[in-house]
Amino acid sequence: MNFLTIKNIYKSFGATPVLNDISFDLAEHQTLAILGRSGCGKTTLLKIIAGLSDASSGKETGQVILQQQNITDQPAQHRGIVYLYQEALLFPHLTVFENIAFGLRLRKIPRSDIQNRTERMLVDLGLAEHTRKMPTELSGGQKQRVAFGRALIIRPRLLLLDEPFGALDVETRSAMQVLFKRIAAEQAITSIFVTHDLKEAVLMGDRLGYMESGQLYIFNNLKEFSDDERTGMQAETRFWKNFNQL
Amino acid sequence: MRRVAIVLLALLFSLPFVYLLALSLASEWRFPLLLPGGWTLAHWTDLGSTGGNWAASAFTSLALATTVGLMATGIGFFTAWRLTGHPKRQIFLHLAYLPYAFSPVIYAHCLKFFFNVSDLSGTFPGVLLAQFILAYPFAILLFFNHFDSSLRAMEDLTYTLGGSARTAFWRVLVPVSRATLLVCFFQTFLISWFDYGLTSVIGLGQVRTLTIAVFQYIGEANQYVAALASCLVCLPPLILLWLNQRFVFRQ
Repeated sequence: MNFLTIKNIYKSFGATPVLNDISFDLAEHQTLAILGRSGCGKTTLLKIIAGLSDASSGKETGQVILQQQNITDQPAQHRGIVYLYQEALLFPHLTVFENIAFGLRLRKIPRSDIQNRTERMLVDLGLAEHTRKMPTELSGGQKQRVAFGRALIIRPRLLLLDEPFGALDVETRSAMQVLFKRIAAEQAITSIFVTHDLKEAVLMGDRLGYMESGQLYIFNNLKEFSDDERTGMQAETRFWKNFNQL
Repeated sequence: MRRVAIVLLALLFSLPFVYLLALSLASEWRFPLLLPGGWTLAHWTDLGSTGGNWAASAFTSLALATTVGLMATGIGFFTAWRLTGHPKRQIFLHLAYLPYAFSPVIYAHCLKFFFNVSDLSGTFPGVLLAQFILAYPFAILLFFNHFDSSLRAMEDLTYTLGGSARTAFWRVLVPVSRATLLVCFFQTFLISWFDYGLTSVIGLGQVRTLTIAVFQYIGEANQYVAALASCLVCLPPLILLWLNQRFVFRQ
């Protein structure tokens, strides 16, 4: 049974079409990695799913169905979908602990529960020694880990990741990819991960998609993805073959 | 070299204040004397005997400037927040520039009819409203640039974490914008504190702020008392400037 169903999403900004009849399904506990260049409509699609942008465009009204419930008209705060940006966007006036506990405090959970759950999350993310630090005292990777913790602690139904490691250096990015894979498996997270990095898409996705000029192509397996010239996988393979023959 | 330049700059900026203070303490200071011919505390001690007038003017100025500053900052912040996502925001933004297209006196004369009709001319609430009309667009313009894509993204993130618009406003936007809010309060306080044009035209001389009092003394050619009044006018902004420097800019 499908966990998430997206039906016929169109979007235009003025006369410029951004999304053109986007439809796909996603099963529970899976990560759909969507590869696409900047400006192909990835962010707009995620914002529509999160409820931060309207799903209707002109006469066309798309549908967002999560766990068999049509949430197209539901405001973002009631969807249980967390959207993670490229920047960590930590609240600069709150400590690491308070940033992670933010979503729990909004839900008016008992203080002792907040304390326990936040401390556990800090340990899981390797941030236990940074509890009282302010965001300005953290490195890029640490900030992104706090952003993950803040999103995961409220146990979202769906996690949307918009190039979350795009601003990190290669080593930190690699460490964060491993961390995300581990946490996604441990917590059985369902997510959509958009990136413009081919390797990252292949590493992060249980399923793979490619987005171009507002259209999304979902592949049934890695071979299909690899065989499609548009994804750039064949060009990449050719490059490394030629490189090794030098 | 750098230190000398800093000292010279500090001297340059403090010169008008030192001059005003010296003039308020002078018994006689005529051209071509470089320094006063004699010194006296008489003008300052006379302040005690006519203290009621000064205190009333100071209180009026303080009440007006604080209220205008708080109202313009609070309402301006809220307005700019709502406007930044509005499809017609550019039109509102251009409208906010309108009060600054005229000189304050001309602007006051344009508004005067409405204040007369509503019986607000010559009253404290009338001057308050007039000054607010001037400070409010300033606050909107200041906050409009403050609500950039990063702050909007932070607001959106709050929604996806389960927060309402009220939560996003009070628990994220306001605390994150604390420094800009303080700067705006400081600026709008000064707009009100030093306003002469609107206050004199709408206040009809019946709302006597310190700035109005200074102009009255200048009109009476009493330069020593005018200098004293100027010192009093400058004092609260200097305190605010120091507070701003100490607690806002260092953040």
